[in-house]
Amino acid sequence: MRLEAMAITMPEVADHPNRIPFEGVLTVVDEASTRPPSGARGHRVILTRDAARAALPSLLGMAVDFAPKWDGHDARAKCGIITEADVIGNQLRVHGYLFGRDFPEVVQQLEQSISGNMGMSYELADAHVADMRADVWTLTRATFTGAAILLREKAAYRNTSFRLSASRCRSRVPQRDRATGKFAAGSVRRFETQHFGQIQRRKEA
Amino acid sequence: METENILASLGESIDRLSSAASLLERTVAWLEQREPVTAGAVEKMTAAVESQSELLQRERVLLQKLEAAEQQIAELRAQGSRSAMARQTLPASTTQLLAKQGLSTLDSIQAGALDAALTGLSLEQRIAVKAQLLRAGMLTD
Repeated sequence: MRLEAMAITMPEVADHPNRIPFEGVLTVVDEASTRPPSGARGHRVILTRDAARAALPSLLGMAVDFAPKWDGHDARAKCGIITEADVIGNQLRVHGYLFGRDFPEVVQQLEQSISGNMGMSYELADAHVADMRADVWTLTRATFTGAAILLREKAAYRNTSFRLSASRCRSRVPQRDRATGKFAAGSVRRFETQHFGQIQRRKEA
Repeated sequence: METENILASLGESIDRLSSAASLLERTVAWLEQREPVTAGAVEKMTAAVESQSELLQRERVLLQKLEAAEQQIAELRAQGSRSAMARQTLPASTTQLLAKQGLSTLDSIQAGALDAALTGLSLEQRIAVKAQLLRAGMLTD
Protein backbone atom coordinates (compact mmCIF):
# COMPACT_ATOMS: atom_id res chain seq x y z
CA MET A 1 0.00 0.00 0.00
CA ARG A 2 1.26 3.45 -0.85
CA LEU A 3 0.72 6.34 1.53
CA GLU A 4 1.12 10.02 0.85
CA ALA A 5 0.20 12.28 3.72
CA MET A 6 0.33 15.90 4.69
CA ALA A 7 -0.92 17.67 7.77
CA ILE A 8 -0.98 20.95 9.59
CA THR A 9 0.17 20.61 13.18
CA MET A 10 -2.49 22.16 15.34
CA PRO A 11 -1.91 23.06 18.97
CA GLU A 12 -3.76 20.70 21.27
CA VAL A 13 -6.47 22.28 23.35
CA ALA A 14 -8.22 20.01 25.76
CA ASP A 15 -11.96 19.81 25.18
CA HIS A 16 -12.01 22.66 22.74
CA PRO A 17 -15.70 23.49 22.45
CA ASN A 18 -15.48 24.59 18.83
CA ARG A 19 -13.46 21.67 17.49
CA ILE A 20 -15.34 18.56 16.53
CA PRO A 21 -12.99 16.21 14.70
CA PHE A 22 -14.10 14.50 11.54
CA GLU A 23 -12.67 12.13 9.00
CA GLY A 24 -13.75 11.23 5.54
CA VAL A 25 -12.90 10.02 2.07
CA LEU A 26 -12.95 13.08 -0.13
CA THR A 27 -12.54 11.27 -3.43
CA VAL A 28 -10.92 8.32 -5.11
CA VAL A 29 -7.93 8.65 -7.40
CA ASP A 30 -7.23 6.96 -10.73
CA GLU A 31 -10.90 5.99 -10.99
CA ALA A 32 -13.67 7.56 -13.01
CA SER A 33 -16.32 9.41 -11.07
CA THR A 34 -19.63 7.63 -10.81
CA ARG A 35 -21.40 10.64 -12.32
CA PRO A 36 -20.30 13.86 -14.01
CA PRO A 37 -19.21 16.48 -11.50
CA SER A 38 -20.67 19.93 -11.71
CA GLY A 39 -18.61 22.03 -14.11
CA ALA A 40 -17.36 19.06 -16.13
CA ARG A 41 -19.83 19.70 -18.97
CA GLY A 42 -21.42 16.31 -18.61
CA HIS A 43 -18.15 14.35 -18.60
CA ARG A 44 -17.19 11.94 -15.88
CA VAL A 45 -13.69 12.66 -14.59
CA ILE A 46 -10.62 10.83 -13.34
CA LEU A 47 -8.39 12.59 -10.86
CA THR A 48 -4.98 11.02 -11.31
CA ARG A 49 -2.97 9.96 -8.30
CA ASP A 50 -0.12 12.28 -9.30
CA ALA A 51 -2.49 15.22 -9.64
CA ALA A 52 -4.09 14.48 -6.26
CA ARG A 53 -0.72 14.07 -4.59
CA ALA A 54 0.59 17.29 -6.07
CA ALA A 55 -2.55 19.10 -4.95
CA LEU A 56 -2.47 17.90 -1.31
CA PRO A 57 -0.79 21.10 -0.02
CA SER A 58 -3.60 23.15 -1.52
CA LEU A 59 -6.16 21.12 0.42
CA LEU A 60 -4.73 21.79 3.88
CA GLY A 61 -6.35 24.70 5.62
CA MET A 62 -9.26 24.75 3.21
CA ALA A 63 -12.74 24.80 4.60
CA VAL A 64 -15.53 22.28 4.50
CA ASP A 65 -18.93 23.69 3.71
CA PHE A 66 -22.49 22.44 3.58
CA ALA A 67 -25.82 23.21 1.97
CA PRO A 68 -29.01 23.24 4.07
CA LYS A 69 -30.37 20.17 2.26
CA TRP A 70 -26.98 18.47 2.12
CA ASP A 71 -27.30 18.27 -1.63
CA GLY A 72 -24.39 20.33 -2.86
CA HIS A 73 -21.89 23.04 -2.14
CA ASP A 74 -22.27 26.41 -0.54
CA ALA A 75 -18.77 27.83 -0.51
CA ARG A 76 -19.84 30.61 1.84
CA ALA A 77 -21.27 28.31 4.48
CA LYS A 78 -17.98 27.12 5.89
CA CYS A 79 -18.44 24.99 8.97
CA GLY A 80 -15.02 23.45 9.43
CA ILE A 81 -11.44 23.06 8.29
CA ILE A 82 -9.27 20.34 6.79
CA THR A 83 -6.03 19.77 8.67
CA GLU A 84 -4.80 16.52 7.24
CA ALA A 85 -4.95 14.79 3.88
CA ASP A 86 -3.68 11.38 2.88
CA VAL A 87 -3.69 9.39 -0.33
CA ILE A 88 -4.05 5.83 0.88
CA GLY A 89 -4.50 3.23 -1.79
CA ASN A 90 -6.94 4.86 -4.16
CA GLN A 91 -8.62 6.98 -1.51
CA LEU A 92 -7.94 10.58 -0.67
CA ARG A 93 -8.71 10.67 3.05
CA VAL A 94 -9.08 13.85 5.02
CA HIS A 95 -9.23 14.77 8.68
CA GLY A 96 -10.18 18.03 10.26
CA TYR A 97 -12.53 19.87 12.58
CA LEU A 98 -16.05 21.15 12.42
CA PHE A 99 -16.80 24.36 14.25
CA GLY A 100 -19.15 22.64 16.65
CA ARG A 101 -20.03 25.65 18.77
CA ASP A 102 -20.73 27.85 15.75
CA PHE A 103 -22.71 25.19 13.91
CA PRO A 104 -24.42 23.04 16.57
CA GLU A 105 -27.26 22.14 14.21
CA VAL A 106 -24.77 20.82 11.65
CA VAL A 107 -23.09 18.62 14.23
CA GLN A 108 -26.47 17.46 15.52
CA GLN A 109 -27.70 16.53 12.06
CA LEU A 110 -24.47 14.72 11.26
CA GLU A 111 -24.64 12.81 14.55
CA GLN A 112 -28.20 11.79 13.78
CA SER A 113 -27.56 10.84 10.15
CA ILE A 114 -27.70 7.19 9.20
CA SER A 115 -24.26 5.61 9.10
CA GLY A 116 -22.87 5.59 5.58
CA ASN A 117 -25.31 8.18 4.29
CA MET A 118 -22.93 11.11 4.22
CA GLY A 119 -20.16 11.72 1.74
CA MET A 120 -17.84 14.44 0.56
CA SER A 121 -17.17 16.44 -2.57
CA TYR A 122 -14.10 18.39 -3.56
CA GLU A 123 -13.97 21.87 -5.02
CA LEU A 124 -11.31 22.38 -7.67
CA ALA A 125 -9.94 25.39 -9.45
CA ASP A 126 -7.89 25.48 -12.65
CA ALA A 127 -8.31 21.80 -13.36
CA HIS A 128 -6.26 20.74 -16.37
CA VAL A 129 -7.91 18.21 -18.63
CA ALA A 130 -5.65 16.00 -20.74
CA ASP A 131 -8.14 15.67 -23.59
CA MET A 132 -11.29 17.74 -23.66
CA ARG A 133 -12.75 15.47 -26.36
CA ALA A 134 -12.46 12.31 -24.31
CA ASP A 135 -15.64 10.80 -22.90
CA VAL A 136 -14.06 10.66 -19.46
CA TRP A 137 -11.91 13.67 -18.65
CA THR A 138 -8.54 12.98 -17.03
CA LEU A 139 -7.50 15.69 -14.62
CA THR A 140 -3.75 16.01 -14.64
CA ARG A 141 -3.41 19.09 -12.46
CA ALA A 142 -5.70 20.97 -10.11
CA THR A 143 -5.90 23.11 -7.02
CA PHE A 144 -8.22 22.20 -4.16
CA THR A 145 -10.20 25.19 -2.96
CA GLY A 146 -12.39 23.40 -0.43
CA ALA A 147 -14.77 20.54 0.14
CA ALA A 148 -18.39 19.97 0.97
CA ILE A 149 -20.15 17.56 3.27
CA LEU A 150 -23.20 16.22 1.51
CA LEU A 151 -25.42 13.22 1.06
CA ARG A 152 -23.41 10.45 -0.56
CA GLU A 153 -26.04 10.07 -3.25
CA LYS A 154 -25.44 13.68 -4.28
CA ALA A 155 -21.69 13.18 -4.65
CA ALA A 156 -20.20 12.55 -8.07
CA TYR A 157 -18.12 9.77 -6.52
CA ARG A 158 -20.11 7.01 -4.92
CA ASN A 159 -17.30 5.83 -2.67
CA THR A 160 -16.84 8.92 -0.56
CA SER A 161 -17.66 9.04 3.12
CA PHE A 162 -17.87 11.40 6.06
CA ARG A 163 -18.18 10.83 9.77
CA LEU A 164 -17.50 12.58 13.01
CA SER A 165 -14.50 11.01 14.70
CA ALA A 166 -15.19 8.93 17.76
CA SER A 167 -12.21 10.30 19.64
CA ARG A 168 -10.86 13.78 19.81
CA CYS A 169 -7.31 12.66 19.31
CA ARG A 170 -5.90 16.15 18.88
CA SER A 171 -7.68 17.72 21.82
CA ARG A 172 -7.39 14.90 24.26
CA VAL A 173 -8.05 15.56 27.92
CA PRO A 174 -4.94 14.69 29.96
CA GLN A 175 -5.52 11.53 31.96
CA ARG A 176 -4.23 11.21 35.52
CA ASP A 177 -3.04 7.93 36.83
CA ARG A 178 -5.30 7.17 39.80
CA ALA A 179 -2.54 5.40 41.73
CA THR A 180 0.25 7.95 41.33
CA GLY A 181 -1.73 11.08 40.58
CA LYS A 182 0.58 11.84 37.67
CA PHE A 183 -0.49 12.42 34.11
CA ALA A 184 -0.55 9.25 32.03
CA ALA A 185 2.17 8.83 29.43
CA GLY A 186 1.28 10.34 26.08
CA SER A 187 -1.75 12.21 27.36
CA VAL A 188 0.05 15.50 27.68
CA ARG A 189 2.11 17.36 25.11
CA ARG A 190 3.93 20.51 25.99
CA PHE A 191 3.15 23.42 23.72
CA GLU A 192 6.83 24.43 23.55
CA THR A 193 7.59 21.29 21.58
CA GLN A 194 4.94 21.96 18.99
CA HIS A 195 5.33 23.84 15.77
CA PHE A 196 2.27 25.91 15.24
CA GLY A 197 1.26 26.31 11.66
CA GLN A 198 4.09 24.18 10.42
CA ILE A 199 3.29 21.70 7.71
CA GLN A 200 4.52 18.21 8.33
CA ARG A 201 4.98 15.80 5.53
CA ARG A 202 5.54 12.12 5.73
CA LYS A 203 5.93 9.53 3.07
CA GLU A 204 5.76 5.80 3.32
CA ALA A 205 6.14 3.50 0.40
CA MET B 1 -7.80 41.48 -77.38
CA GLU B 2 -9.81 38.33 -76.77
CA THR B 3 -6.88 36.70 -75.06
CA GLU B 4 -6.63 39.72 -72.77
CA ASN B 5 -10.30 39.35 -71.91
CA ILE B 6 -9.83 35.69 -71.14
CA LEU B 7 -6.84 36.41 -68.95
CA ALA B 8 -8.76 39.16 -67.15
CA SER B 9 -11.65 36.84 -66.44
CA LEU B 10 -9.18 34.19 -65.28
CA GLY B 11 -7.73 36.71 -62.85
CA GLU B 12 -11.20 37.54 -61.61
CA SER B 13 -11.94 33.88 -60.97
CA ILE B 14 -8.67 33.45 -59.10
CA ASP B 15 -9.49 36.45 -56.91
CA ARG B 16 -12.89 34.98 -56.05
CA LEU B 17 -11.38 31.62 -55.20
CA SER B 18 -8.70 33.28 -53.09
CA SER B 19 -11.22 35.25 -51.08
CA ALA B 20 -13.33 32.11 -50.54
CA ALA B 21 -10.24 30.23 -49.34
CA SER B 22 -9.31 32.96 -46.87
CA LEU B 23 -12.89 32.99 -45.57
CA LEU B 24 -12.70 29.25 -44.97
CA GLU B 25 -9.35 29.64 -43.19
CA ARG B 26 -10.85 32.26 -40.90
CA THR B 27 -13.79 29.97 -40.14
CA VAL B 28 -11.49 27.08 -39.24
CA ALA B 29 -9.41 29.35 -36.97
CA TRP B 30 -12.57 30.56 -35.27
CA LEU B 31 -13.77 27.02 -34.68
CA GLU B 32 -10.40 25.99 -33.24
CA GLN B 33 -10.42 29.00 -30.93
CA ARG B 34 -13.89 28.13 -29.67
CA GLU B 35 -13.12 24.49 -28.90
CA PRO B 36 -9.55 23.52 -28.00
CA VAL B 37 -8.54 20.42 -29.88
CA THR B 38 -7.05 18.39 -27.05
CA ALA B 39 -5.94 19.69 -23.67
CA GLY B 40 -7.85 22.33 -21.81
CA ALA B 41 -8.59 23.79 -18.43
CA VAL B 42 -11.71 24.11 -16.34
CA GLU B 43 -11.92 27.13 -14.10
CA LYS B 44 -14.13 25.56 -11.45
CA MET B 45 -15.34 22.06 -10.73
CA THR B 46 -17.16 20.50 -7.80
CA ALA B 47 -17.61 16.78 -7.30
CA ALA B 48 -21.31 17.05 -6.63
CA VAL B 49 -23.95 16.09 -9.14
CA GLU B 50 -25.40 18.97 -11.08
CA SER B 51 -28.55 20.55 -9.77
CA GLN B 52 -31.63 20.97 -11.97
CA SER B 53 -30.86 24.64 -12.62
CA GLU B 54 -27.29 23.81 -13.63
CA LEU B 55 -28.54 21.15 -16.03
CA LEU B 56 -30.98 23.64 -17.57
CA GLN B 57 -28.25 26.23 -17.93
CA ARG B 58 -25.96 23.71 -19.62
CA GLU B 59 -28.80 22.74 -21.95
CA ARG B 60 -29.27 26.40 -22.88
CA VAL B 61 -25.57 26.80 -23.66
CA LEU B 62 -25.60 23.66 -25.80
CA LEU B 63 -28.68 24.87 -27.68
CA GLN B 64 -26.98 28.18 -28.39
CA LYS B 65 -23.93 26.35 -29.70
CA LEU B 66 -26.13 24.13 -31.85
CA GLU B 67 -27.93 27.13 -33.32
CA ALA B 68 -24.64 28.85 -34.11
CA ALA B 69 -23.31 25.71 -35.76
CA GLU B 70 -26.50 25.24 -37.82
CA GLN B 71 -26.36 28.86 -38.95
CA GLN B 72 -22.76 28.44 -39.99
CA ILE B 73 -23.55 25.27 -41.90
CA ALA B 74 -26.38 27.06 -43.71
CA GLU B 75 -24.06 29.95 -44.61
CA LEU B 76 -21.39 27.59 -45.91
CA ARG B 77 -23.99 25.70 -47.94
CA ALA B 78 -25.27 28.92 -49.44
CA GLN B 79 -21.72 29.95 -50.31
CA GLY B 80 -21.13 26.56 -51.88
CA SER B 81 -24.22 26.74 -54.06
CA ARG B 82 -23.38 30.32 -55.08
CA SER B 83 -19.90 29.31 -56.18
CA ALA B 84 -21.34 26.30 -58.03
CA MET B 85 -23.68 28.63 -59.89
CA ALA B 86 -20.79 30.98 -60.64
CA ARG B 87 -18.77 28.11 -62.02
CA GLN B 88 -21.48 27.42 -64.63
CA THR B 89 -21.08 30.92 -66.08
CA LEU B 90 -18.47 31.29 -68.78
CA PRO B 91 -16.96 34.67 -69.64
CA ALA B 92 -18.54 36.27 -72.70
CA SER B 93 -15.27 36.15 -74.64
CA THR B 94 -15.02 32.38 -74.16
CA THR B 95 -18.65 31.90 -75.19
CA GLN B 96 -18.03 33.93 -78.33
CA LEU B 97 -14.95 31.93 -79.18
CA LEU B 98 -16.87 28.69 -78.76
CA ALA B 99 -19.78 30.01 -80.79
CA LYS B 100 -17.46 30.82 -83.66
CA GLN B 101 -16.37 27.20 -83.57
CA GLY B 102 -19.98 25.99 -83.69
CA LEU B 103 -20.44 25.32 -79.98
CA SER B 104 -23.27 27.68 -79.00
CA THR B 105 -25.18 25.77 -76.30
CA LEU B 106 -23.43 23.31 -74.08
CA ASP B 107 -23.72 21.93 -70.60
CA SER B 108 -20.63 19.82 -70.86
CA ILE B 109 -18.27 18.74 -73.57
CA GLN B 110 -15.72 15.95 -73.87
CA ALA B 111 -12.06 16.87 -74.23
CA GLY B 112 -11.68 15.01 -77.55
CA ALA B 113 -14.70 16.72 -79.15
CA LEU B 114 -13.45 20.10 -77.92
CA ASP B 115 -10.03 19.59 -79.50
CA ALA B 116 -11.72 18.89 -82.82
CA ALA B 117 -13.91 21.97 -82.53
CA LEU B 118 -11.05 24.29 -81.58
CA THR B 119 -8.67 23.38 -84.35
CA GLY B 120 -9.18 26.84 -85.89
CA LEU B 121 -7.86 28.63 -82.79
CA SER B 122 -4.29 29.33 -81.83
CA LEU B 123 -2.58 27.24 -79.20
CA GLU B 124 -2.86 30.01 -76.59
CA GLN B 125 -6.55 30.50 -77.28
CA ARG B 126 -7.21 26.77 -77.01
CA ILE B 127 -5.42 26.61 -73.66
CA ALA B 128 -7.38 29.61 -72.34
CA VAL B 129 -10.74 28.22 -73.47
CA LYS B 130 -10.02 24.82 -71.96
CA ALA B 131 -8.97 26.43 -68.70
CA GLN B 132 -12.24 28.36 -68.54
CA LEU B 133 -14.30 25.27 -69.31
CA LEU B 134 -12.42 23.31 -66.66
CA ARG B 135 -13.08 25.99 -64.03
CA ALA B 136 -16.73 26.07 -65.01
CA GLY B 137 -16.90 22.31 -64.60
CA MET B 138 -18.10 21.86 -68.17
CA LEU B 139 -15.18 19.83 -69.47
CA THR B 140 -15.22 16.10 -68.92
CA ASP B 141 -12.62 13.46 -69.74
